[in-house]
This record gives sequence, C-alpha cells and structure tokens, in this order.
Amino acid sequence: MEKEKMYDPYEGFKQISEMWERQINGLLFMAADNNEFVRLASSGLGIHSRYMELLRKNQELMAGFMNIPTKKDVANVANLSIQAEGKIDILEEQIWNLQDSIGSLNKENLELFQEMVRMIKQMQAEFQKNIHEAAELKRMYNDLHEIRKDLVDIKIIQVNLRDVREEIEEIKDLQKKLVGVNSLNEQANIHGGLQEVKHELDQLAEIKSELALLRGILVKESPKGKVKEKELVTTK
Amino acid sequence: MSMQGSIKDFIPLLDLGKETKRWEQVLRILKEPKPDIIPTQREVVWKKNKSTLWFHPAKEKKYKVPLFFVYSLLNKSYILDIGEGSSVIGGLTEMGYDVYLLDWGSPGYEDSNITLDNYILDYLKAAVKRAIRHSGVNEITVVGYCLGGTISAILAAITDLPIKNLVLATIPIDFSMGIVPSKWLEGLQNGQLNIERFADAYGVIPEDIMYAMFRGLSPIYISPMVNLITRAYDTDYVEKWRRMDKWTKDSASFSGAAFKQLFNDLYKDNKLLKGELVIGGKRVDLSNINCPLFVVSTSRDTLVLEPQSLPIMDLVSSMDKTYQVVEAGHVSLALTGTFSIIADKWLSARSEEIQPIFS
Repeated sequence: MEKEKMYDPYEGFKQISEMWERQINGLLFMAADNNEFVRLASSGLGIHSRYMELLRKNQELMAGFMNIPTKKDVANVANLSIQAEGKIDILEEQIWNLQDSIGSLNKENLELFQEMVRMIKQMQAEFQKNIHEAAELKRMYNDLHEIRKDLVDIKIIQVNLRDVREEIEEIKDLQKKLVGVNSLNEQANIHGGLQEVKHELDQLAEIKSELALLRGILVKESPKGKVKEKELVTTK
Repeated sequence: MSMQGSIKDFIPLLDLGKETKRWEQVLRILKEPKPDIIPTQREVVWKKNKSTLWFHPAKEKKYKVPLFFVYSLLNKSYILDIGEGSSVIGGLTEMGYDVYLLDWGSPGYEDSNITLDNYILDYLKAAVKRAIRHSGVNEITVVGYCLGGTISAILAAITDLPIKNLVLATIPIDFSMGIVPSKWLEGLQNGQLNIERFADAYGVIPEDIMYAMFRGLSPIYISPMVNLITRAYDTDYVEKWRRMDKWTKDSASFSGAAFKQLFNDLYKDNKLLKGELVIGGKRVDLSNINCPLFVVSTSRDTLVLEPQSLPIMDLVSSMDKTYQVVEAGHVSLALTGTFSIIADKWLSARSEEIQPIFS
C-alpha cells in the first residue's frame, strides 16, 4: 500500500496543478488590482456597450426597412402574455379570497343551522312533554269531575243517613214507650215498624259498603284522592 | 522474462485495467452530451413567467412546517437537487420535510425590466403565499441560499407572511467587501466602473457573459479536469463530476434592471446593511426579522466571505438565532448534500414534529 501511494503519478500531478492554479490566479488577481486596470476595464466596458447599442440600433433600423419583426417586437408580444398571466394570478387570488369568505360564511351558516336544529329538537321534546302533561291534566280533570259527582251523591247519602238516624232516634223513643204498652195490635204495629227499620238498616249497610268501595277507588287513582278522602272523612 | 521483470520494477503498480477504465471514462465525458439531472419526486404548484414553484413531498411526513427554498438568481437552482445521494432537497424529503423550491428560471429578452422589487414581491412573496395555501398549514420555513438568502432576508424584513423560521446559507449582507480586487470594488463604489450602460445595451445579461464574469474571478480553472483525470476510474465520482460540471457551466441569464439594482444599491451603496434599501416602497429594516434564525457560513468559501454574512446576526431582532461555520466550500455545501444534515439538526426542533398516532 505504501508503494502504491508513492507511485501514483496522478496525485502528484493534481497537487502541482492545484498549486500552479492558485499561484497564477493570485498573480492575475494582483495584476488586476490597480486603478489603471479598473480604468481600462471601464473604458472597455464603455466601448463594448456603445458597440452593442449601435448594433441593436442598426438591427432595428434594418428590420424596420425590411418590415420584419425583431427580438424587441417578439419581447413586446411576450410581455402581453406575461401581463395576462399576472392578471390571471390576481384573479385567482381574488377567487381564493371569495372562496375563503364563502367558506367561512358557510361554516357560520352551518353552525347557525345546527343551533336551530338543536333548538327545534328541544322545542319538540318540550312540546311532547306539554302534550303529555295536558293529557294528564285532562284525565285528572275528569277524575275530579267524577269525584265531584260522587261527593254530591255522598252528600245526598249523608242527608239520608241523617234522616235514618233521626228515625232510629224516634224508634228508640218508641221502644221506650213500648215497654209500657202490652196490646197485641200495638205489638203488631211495632213489629211492622221494626221490619221497616230493619230494611232501612240493610240499605244503610249497602250504602256503607258502596262508600268503602268509593274510598278505595279514590286512594288508588290519585294522591289528591287521599286529600279528597280526608276531606270526605272530615265531612262525615 | 528478465526484461518483463525489469519493466515491472520500473513501473511496478501500473494497473492496466484501471488505466483503461480511467481514460475510457475521460473520453466518454468528452464525447457524450451533458447528463440529465433526475430530480427528486416533484410536482408543479405554480408558474409565473419563467419561474416555477416545485413541490417535493416528504417520503414519510414527519414535520408539519414545510420548507421553502430560494436559490440565487445568478445560477440554476438544480444544484439543490443534483441527484440521488447528494441532493439537499432529496435528503430533506427523506428526513420527513415537505419541500417547496422556487426555480427562478432564466429571464428572456422580454424580462429586461424585472427589478429586484419584482423578484421579491411579485415572484417570491406570491410563491410563498401559494406554498402556504398549497400546504394547508399556517406557517412556513424559508431557506435562502447565497443571493437567494439575501433576497429571503429582505422579504422576511418587509412581509407580513407567516414565516416560522429563517435559514440563510452563505449569504452576502455586507457588500462593502468581497472576493473581487479591492481597487475594482473601490471603482464600483466611486462610480469609476459603471455597469448601467452595459446592462441597458444588453437588456438581459446573457448566460455566457454571466459565466465569463464568474470565470473572471478565477481565470485559471483546471482543477476540476485534473480531479476528474485523477479519479476517472471511479464510476460514482465520474457521475457526480459530470453533474457538477454541467451545473458549473450552466449559468442563468440576469435581468438588466435587477443587475443594475444589484450593483448600484447593494455593491455600490451597500444599502441593505445601512438600512436604506427600499423594496416595493418599504424600507428594508433587517431588525424587523424576529423569527428564529439560522445562518450558515462555509470556511472555504471563495465567493461569499464569512464577514459578509456575519452582520445579520446583530441586525435582526430574533431572540432565537444560531450561527454556524461549516468546513465546506460555497458550492460543495449544496453539492454534497451536507446542507440537508446541518439544516435538519436545527430545524427538527422548530418544525412541529407530527406525533405518531398509535391505534
């Protein structure tokens, strides 16, 4: 390996050429770094520019005589398409702005619609709830109406009961009187009267059972029924 | 036998196979046309006049913030994507960045009136805007190389576009010094050397004149050919050399109006450093740059000297700013793809890494 490195002529050639390149460039750099060279370059640049101007001018003149387009004419046409391209770009950017604003508007609208749908759904739920409550109220109203009717019946029964109680009181008075009475006719009359009272007592028992039944219904149907029952009880 | 032995002793390591291959390759390069540069996968986002905005999608996207590359107006931008294995853009797409590249193109005769103002506002600003819209993100990282870096810094100082990070490589900011002889610079600054008439006469400075100007800075230029002959047996090296050779000789033309502005405002009056440069009616004040800044200089740069880049570090008002000198040349930083590795080290923490979602 050592030998291989020693005998590679290209590496040596490369190093020498690099060294020469650097040195010659340095030399040229130094040679050019003076005012005279700058003046020479400046006048050279001026002469070349004048020559180019003249050439372009003559070119335009000749082309004008021959009525053929020059590079300048082609450039003018090209400029028109560049301008059109620029305008399309501006339009495209304006379309973007429109797209963006429509997009944001759509987003806002969507949010609004979503809010509206949510509210409508909520209202629908509330409405359903109200319908249910109204049905409940109607049922309660009917129940109350029935209770009211029953109360009227109960009042009538109460009046009847009061009459029956009075009659019982009268019977008790009669019984007391009967102790002293021994005649058979009177006994027969009394017996008939007792039969009548017995019959009325049977009716009273029936009424009582009906009342118990009514009370049971009231308790079952509504909590308010309990209140009503209490009321009934107190009325009794 | 003894005769052959003595020849071997004289040239003991002459490898005939290697030498044949070396000279065959040299001959092939001389005969064959310049190679085609195969770019990293890309698509056109926007075109304006000769300029094209390219989009190079990430192989596997890892970072949210895309990169926007701006190359010099003086050369062709494909140096940033010179071929697989040594491409800056290819490297960054491999690392997970979406990359946009503004290729300025070569101006034609009809573009003689394009000024730096037009390049910065009508082309660069519009392209950045389009890249942001195309990427669908809110912010972008601008990466400027050489004169492209100067232009990027100017844009960052005058724009309200959402620039997240600014990366500048080998940029000239101070034009009071340079690689040209001092007397030439003096002549340019005191008006002794005037390029106005020259630029007007040409309208657009042709590619050949631009190439000649670059060659004028180092007239003796045999080292690339010597390097080729030295390593012509190595096929990979030869391929890279051919691509580099093509790019070196493939200069871009330059608009006359921008050429005058470049020489008068920057080289002659050094307006950018002094804060006197006006672009699109706005004064370019580099202190308006407050985004994170990364500046890269190269130690073996023969085109932009390190002291030309340094002043930007004091001029900007960024709190997060990094300066790095890399052991490379002005062109080799991009040509070898090294820049992608250096840029990634700084950018990875500032490009909003996308967290993988585990299902």
